[in-house]
Amino acid sequence: MTAPFIRMMKLSNSSRQVGLKLKRFIFWMLLPTFVIVLILTYYPTVEGSILAFKDYSVFNFQNIHFVGLDNFKTIFEGPEFAIATWNTIWWIAFSVTLQLILGFALALLMRKPFKGRGLYAGIVFYPWALSGFAIGILWSWLLNGQFGLINDILIKMHILDHGINFLANPKYAFISVITVNVWYGIPFFAIMILAALQSIPTSLYESAEIDGAGSIMKFFHITVPYIKPTLVSTVLLRIIWVMNFPDIIYGMTRGGPAGTTNILATYMINIVYFESDYSKASAVGLVIISALTLYTLFYLKLTSSYEMGEL
Amino acid sequence: MKRFLVIILTLAILMLVSIGIAQKVTLNMIQVFTSPQRTQILQNIIKEFEKLHPNVQINLISPPYETAYQKVYLMLSIKQPLDIVEVGDWSLEGVVRLGRMENLEPYIKNWSGAKELVPGLLKAVRATGGKAYIIPNGVYAKALFYRPDILAKYGITKVPQTMHELYADSVKITNPDKNQYGFDFRGTGLPTNFIDIITTSYINDIDPSNMYKLTNGKLWFKDPRAIEGLKLYLDFYKNTAPKDSINWGFDEQVNAFVSGITPFLFQDPDTTGLLNKLLKKGEYKTAPLPVGPSGKVYPSYGFGGWGIPNYSKHKELAWEFIKFFTTPKISAYFCKEYGALPVLKSVYENDPYFSTGVFEGWKEMFKNPKKYVFTSYPLANPGWTKWTKYQQDTMQQCLLGRLSIEQMTDKWYEYWKKSFGM
Repeated sequence: MTAPFIRMMKLSNSSRQVGLKLKRFIFWMLLPTFVIVLILTYYPTVEGSILAFKDYSVFNFQNIHFVGLDNFKTIFEGPEFAIATWNTIWWIAFSVTLQLILGFALALLMRKPFKGRGLYAGIVFYPWALSGFAIGILWSWLLNGQFGLINDILIKMHILDHGINFLANPKYAFISVITVNVWYGIPFFAIMILAALQSIPTSLYESAEIDGAGSIMKFFHITVPYIKPTLVSTVLLRIIWVMNFPDIIYGMTRGGPAGTTNILATYMINIVYFESDYSKASAVGLVIISALTLYTLFYLKLTSSYEMGEL
Repeated sequence: MKRFLVIILTLAILMLVSIGIAQKVTLNMIQVFTSPQRTQILQNIIKEFEKLHPNVQINLISPPYETAYQKVYLMLSIKQPLDIVEVGDWSLEGVVRLGRMENLEPYIKNWSGAKELVPGLLKAVRATGGKAYIIPNGVYAKALFYRPDILAKYGITKVPQTMHELYADSVKITNPDKNQYGFDFRGTGLPTNFIDIITTSYINDIDPSNMYKLTNGKLWFKDPRAIEGLKLYLDFYKNTAPKDSINWGFDEQVNAFVSGITPFLFQDPDTTGLLNKLLKKGEYKTAPLPVGPSGKVYPSYGFGGWGIPNYSKHKELAWEFIKFFTTPKISAYFCKEYGALPVLKSVYENDPYFSTGVFEGWKEMFKNPKKYVFTSYPLANPGWTKWTKYQQDTMQQCLLGRLSIEQMTDKWYEYWKKSFGM
């Protein structure tokens, strides 16, 4: 009785040592990444947040001091912030919803193999590989009222008599930037959803068919529930990215005309470039970070409650 | 013995080479008005300087124009190695306020070239508290660019002399069905000059030392003459320019001018460098800016120049380079290739290139300072930094019909009243 017990203890001790060694190994391997993230992400975030409460601009590099909530008062008092906030909400709502629906549709179409699927997928997914800013500039010329290719085609096809001022009219300008963003973001949803769709066992559909389920029934009772985790994480990520994605708007309109296509991110950049008021820009940045943090906490809480069956 | 001598000789050569390398001084120089063409021109000048100073090597930093000042501010703030720094007039006060620029007055005092500078230029540079922190490398002022070939098609052979003639000619040729317009409107990219040139041409008593004040010290924004001027500015947009031009900056303006869509353009001389490459000789010309009902027009001098950070370890060499850049030969080369107006009197006197051909418009304007009143902007006022974007945004709102002219000028009045502490 004693001998097996001692042997077991020895085994347990050695496995504990192995576990400890493994933990140390993991710690040392993770440490460089942790330090880099700390220095390059968290330190600037904290410094930037502190800056939001100071007076720091091109005209004041020498006497930097705390000004409390003055920068926030300044941004909240101006009409630009309210416009940019509303625009950000519409920008996210339309962009993500349409990207999700169209990306889903594209993934469903590409789910079954067909001749040339690889090539087709390559072409469709190509925009995602390009720089957002470059795409913005490209589309600003395509949509140009005088020299733009799109107007030229529409006029030559006798659909239009005169070119449309896509980026000069505030209403069209905002629709234009959202449309380009939707076009740009569809591949991301399509890639993610397609990968998830391919993991659904075909036997589930076969069983459902035997039970007499139609296409709509299969979609809502097998496809959607099965890929729900992917949908949740993709939408969560995409909302954060789209909110922090000034590239296309900046390339196309720089927030204009008259600030009508500004979202919070482009509004912040414009403050840095044209006003050189770094603390005011930091205040806008802090608002963005706070909104995203609240959103993420709410979203995670909601999804975990759902998974635990509370909702 | 022979082997020993070879070793000694090799070592001696190596030592000399290493001493030579060690003695080579690197000057870091940053430009702000970056373009591929300009970078090449500066590289050519640097090569010439390096030939004269074999122990000097100049490292040219060329950040994209849009982010150039952020880079300059950053480099100066954290005292990154920098010996020669370019600054434009609109940003000079902000850069000087960093407290990192060397006061060049002691250098200017012992420099014979200072007397050769165009009259009034040093005074303009000294807007920063009466001290010069840069030596200008080029002067910029708006003139009227026009396309005689396009205008001739519509029977216009006489260059407009007044704002109303320019407007009438522009209306005459505007035909949206043919994608033909008159005036090359600038709606974005900080169109301050364009707005002010047309607006102030209605006023005969602008203070030449402050574009936004009258000679009696009052602001002109609520003056009925200014309202009339702004009405004309809006009419140019509504009746003679594409609606899309509310989003036009420099690139779009040049594109429209080159393609002939808009044959009248207000621009600076650096545009000539680009147009000479894109158009054939004679396809474009320049003329003085049209005058307004006041019989005057108020262009402003713009300039860029080279300065020295006060923490530079090679101030004397940096000054040598600045002096070299301001010699007649180099200044003329830079201005010809890049398209700026020269900063030296002798270049105008000795080089016919700058008084004929495409430079004729400026020559006429310089000859008649009572009609073409060169006026300064309040660049040293802290309100200036935010003004150009504020003016652009409020003007765009007015162009879109979201603000009336009176509402807009009320805002401008309040802005400058507060900025001037009136």
